[in-house]
Amino acid sequence: MKPGIDDQSKPQTMIQEKYTKRYQNLKVAEALSNNHLYPFACNELSSIIDLGYSQLPKDLKAFIFRDCLSAFRLLPEMNTSAAVSAANLLVKSVESAFPKQKKNLAIVEFKQAKVALKRRTKSHDEHIDLPSLPQDILVHIFSFLDLYSLLSSSQVSRSWNQATSEGSLWRSLFDLHFTHKVLIHIYPGIDWREAFKNEYILYKSSKMLRSGRGYCSYCDSVVWHDNLRCPKKQCRLKSGKKPLDLMLTHQVVNYLLGTTSSSDESDSEDEAVRGLWAYPTLQ
Amino acid sequence: MSEADMAIIKPEMMMKSYIWLETTDGSIQQVEQEIAMYCPMICHEVLQKGLGAGSSKNCAISLPQRVNPAMLSLILDYCRFHQVPGRSNKERKVHDEKFIRMDTKRLCELASAADSLQLKPLVDLSSRALARIIEGKTPEEIREIFHLPDDLTEEEKLEPLKNLMDDPRIRLLNRLYAKKRKELKEREKLKGKEVEERVDERSVDDLLSFINGKDHKVVKTSKSKKKNKKRKEHKNKVSHNLHSKQQGVQIVDETASSLGGVSNLPSMEDDIFSLKTDSEDGYVDDGMDPVLKEMLDREVEDFARRLNSSWVLSSGQERQPVHFSINGNGATRRLTAFQVMLGSLILLMVFGWQVPEFCGVTVKGNSRVRISGLTGTEGEDEWFDLSYLILNEASDPPKYDNVPADREELVGDVLSFTLLFPFELQLCISELELTLRGHKPLYAHIIELREL
Repeated sequence: MKPGIDDQSKPQTMIQEKYTKRYQNLKVAEALSNNHLYPFACNELSSIIDLGYSQLPKDLKAFIFRDCLSAFRLLPEMNTSAAVSAANLLVKSVESAFPKQKKNLAIVEFKQAKVALKRRTKSHDEHIDLPSLPQDILVHIFSFLDLYSLLSSSQVSRSWNQATSEGSLWRSLFDLHFTHKVLIHIYPGIDWREAFKNEYILYKSSKMLRSGRGYCSYCDSVVWHDNLRCPKKQCRLKSGKKPLDLMLTHQVVNYLLGTTSSSDESDSEDEAVRGLWAYPTLQ
Repeated sequence: MSEADMAIIKPEMMMKSYIWLETTDGSIQQVEQEIAMYCPMICHEVLQKGLGAGSSKNCAISLPQRVNPAMLSLILDYCRFHQVPGRSNKERKVHDEKFIRMDTKRLCELASAADSLQLKPLVDLSSRALARIIEGKTPEEIREIFHLPDDLTEEEKLEPLKNLMDDPRIRLLNRLYAKKRKELKEREKLKGKEVEERVDERSVDDLLSFINGKDHKVVKTSKSKKKNKKRKEHKNKVSHNLHSKQQGVQIVDETASSLGGVSNLPSMEDDIFSLKTDSEDGYVDDGMDPVLKEMLDREVEDFARRLNSSWVLSSGQERQPVHFSINGNGATRRLTAFQVMLGSLILLMVFGWQVPEFCGVTVKGNSRVRISGLTGTEGEDEWFDLSYLILNEASDPPKYDNVPADREELVGDVLSFTLLFPFELQLCISELELTLRGHKPLYAHIIELREL
């Protein structure tokens, strides 16, 4: 009897460790404290919970619970609307999947965070006049931005809008996103923004960008991409101009849970829908 | 020997040369030369103008306008740290991280001061810090942080969004468009010509064609409209436009002959047509049916007018089953948030369009929309708080657990619309998800749309 039990528990603990290790490699917790990555991390957490909370080993469930709590605790510091909506989504996932006690703890934390957030936004009442930044500084700042932030900036005000139409910005974005498209006809006076837009539509890129995740073959890990590149310096040096392979959220979840990811869209849909109704009773 | 050397060296070392710097407000500062020379601009000044420059109070080097005394001292601190050769890279990095921690206003001043002094490493440092602040924020949030005016017209704001549409969305859009055309044909047969009904259809058509594939054309037309400055005229013709728009829907599919067949206010149409032709100067004919083009022009112009017109409180008209109420006159409040306008426009249009006799939409304030008839019940919980979706006001959204079956498609279509603007209204999806969580088939639909 005894050896039998041992044999059974060994592979189980190994599996558990594997999951836990993978989860730690995903570095979700670190991303939560980053202002930019917070919404991505929350979305990933809620996807993980939606799609496979019941399948996870006990200690991984504890990790996830801990990260959810820290997500809510950090919410007041993130004063973006994207963060709030991501947190809301997380709460809903928590509500549907967590067991009663954990759920209540998480919800309490969330409510406290909301109150703190409200208090913050109320006290934010300064009417100072900022000096207007010169155009070339604006362009320099924008050169560090990712695609969506650049588009947001272009809608802020007239001077910023003009700065964002600078061709060099779009050219570098183009090179970044579409490195394979080297055979482009580069003529003087080319509108890089238009070129970018056309390529973007062609390659339906926005879906891939929504997760904030990419796979770096140099360090063989799933990372939060920093404007399509691996955040680690060595990998960036090795890869040169080549961007990461972007990953969708459900692919990340599949990686974590060890399920084989089907490239078929409808399959992932079914999975997602099934996972949503993962009430605790379904095991 | 060495002592003598020391004796010679010492006084030289004691005699640190100073440079006098003058800021635009007139205050003059004395700075060690080696520190000041770290800034290329000062270095050039000294070298160009010869040794006399900056050597005394009288001929101080005047600094560019953007450098105020506070910034100057900050920059000099930076230079003082970095010009010492013996520091390791790590030390410098740590110093920089601490150095850059300041409020946004000072960061902006620092960036512009460093730029005018051509101190590239500091420009990079402050620019990166500012970029980190901007990252991941919506335009409204950025405006708040940097205290910038919202001085773009709606078309200009639409520009980047329109450009980043995805194919699946265009497919969805086409599907909706086709569905709509069918439905309108049916309605045409069944009902009489209720003007207000048409309002909504027209607007959706505007939206659809404005966005769908005719973008480049549309942008040109709207811009030429601006030049003509005929918007104000059109504003007065609001009601007439609404009437005459009825034509648009059918005309898109049918020929010009049907124009004559429609009875409503033909004179107004002529007016509008003539206006159209004026603005079509210098306008490339891409081989489309001219009538069709004119219809589209009208749609565009109307849409543009709509976007620029104000949303109004309709507090006096709570229960209006047919249309969304925009009062052309009276108290107006201009929404600055593009998202709210477009998001509400979409939601209003779609809801109003689909089943106008049951589903009415009213606007209260600038952010709450009541979509009556959605749940079949009356009362407070029908207020669908758009601001919650987009402006991040902390109020709990109502729950639509009991959306009746015939509304499912409707809500699905709303969601499809939100997907047309992926990053601006991405919020919409998550928030709508929340409210519709109780309704399983719709939720599955949302997930499907989300993965597109």
